Amino acid sequence: MEEKPFRAPLGSRDSDDSSPDNDTRNLWTRATLSQPKLNVPRSKICDDSDAEGSSLGSKTRRGYSRKAGRESGGGWEEREDGEDKVGCRPGDLHGHLSLEMELRRGSILGSHLEEDVDSKTETEVSSSESWLSMSRHTPHGAYWIEQQNRLPLPLMEVVENEALEILTKALWSEDGPDHFLTKHLQRYIEGLKRRRSKRLHLVMY
Amino acid sequence: MKLKQGSFLWYLYLDKLYCLLSVRNVKALLEYFHLLDVHHNNTLNDVLFYHFLRHVTSWKRTQIMIVFNMLDWNAMGEIGFDQFYMLVCILLAQQNHLEEQFIFRHSRPVFELLDLDGELRIGADHFHMYNFLFNIKKQELRELYHDFDITGDRRLNYKEFKLFTIFTMDKYQEKQKAEKEQGKTAPLKKKRPHRFILSSKLF
Repeated sequence: MEEKPFRAPLGSRDSDDSSPDNDTRNLWTRATLSQPKLNVPRSKICDDSDAEGSSLGSKTRRGYSRKAGRESGGGWEEREDGEDKVGCRPGDLHGHLSLEMELRRGSILGSHLEEDVDSKTETEVSSSESWLSMSRHTPHGAYWIEQQNRLPLPLMEVVENEALEILTKALWSEDGPDHFLTKHLQRYIEGLKRRRSKRLHLVMY
Repeated sequence: MKLKQGSFLWYLYLDKLYCLLSVRNVKALLEYFHLLDVHHNNTLNDVLFYHFLRHVTSWKRTQIMIVFNMLDWNAMGEIGFDQFYMLVCILLAQQNHLEEQFIFRHSRPVFELLDLDGELRIGADHFHMYNFLFNIKKQELRELYHDFDITGDRRLNYKEFKLFTIFTMDKYQEKQKAEKEQGKTAPLKKKRPHRFILSSKLF
């Protein structure tokens, strides 16, 4: 089932008086406050760090990969040599993920869209509310809530506009106007601008 | 260092426990990286990297080039998405005052980044060179080497560095607890004068 994109207001991050319940980051904060101890079971950290794609620095000089989560489980090991042996199975988490998604879809389809609020029945509202409260208390509740929302479309515009600004500044600072890399950059910027104007044209009409 | 308000990175956030981005944020970051990858090499060269950091941070040229040299651990003159992701996590950790937690959670990759010579030891001068990344003050650096250089060679090996991260993490958590308790008692103190004013108006 295709999820409709959720438009979050761009200004929602600007002020500090946005409702704490609506800000996903505060859900992350609550999730962490509910787990004050650092001695989180290794398998749990392993699964979570795998799910997050935690290959932070996976190509460092020592071939470090996905050990940070395990090390943070309260103990630490000497790693002067060799590769680490990852005991976590991403497949387990993936199965858990898909089961959760199926359960949620049945009860809260489109529950986050403003247009559907009026048409929701009381049972759906109560089920979504109970799910929301439950998900806040279940492990990684903030993660599951976040998964229900698509990236807000204005964010992609912000991304493109910012990339265009950065690349334009890079072009102005280039010393060799005839260099093939400079010309390549120029063509790329023109392509981005054309794409942006096409999109704006489509939005207007 | 502060991220430029309204920039793309400003909208991202780290998980406060694991100091990593969510999958959704990583996807968006990947799109952003691909937009900046002008030459379709899955990398950013030094010029693009410099202009990117100049745009989103308040770092100077020398600081940006230090970071580039640190991340370009293959000495290719370009950095790939892995290194870019790590950089973004470091920036967000600084932005959200999670440096202690970040170093604790990712002590191994941080140690390897700081170990420029590959000697499995970090000298004080290297640490000092990167203190703008992790907000470590000079005094703290002196204490670090004084308290944790167990072997006495004036450099930190990984075990000593890990001990340091555990210690700073404990201090950070105590500080948070103290702040939380202060936050609880402060509203109670504020209410009393208000009640007094009301009662003085009535009588």
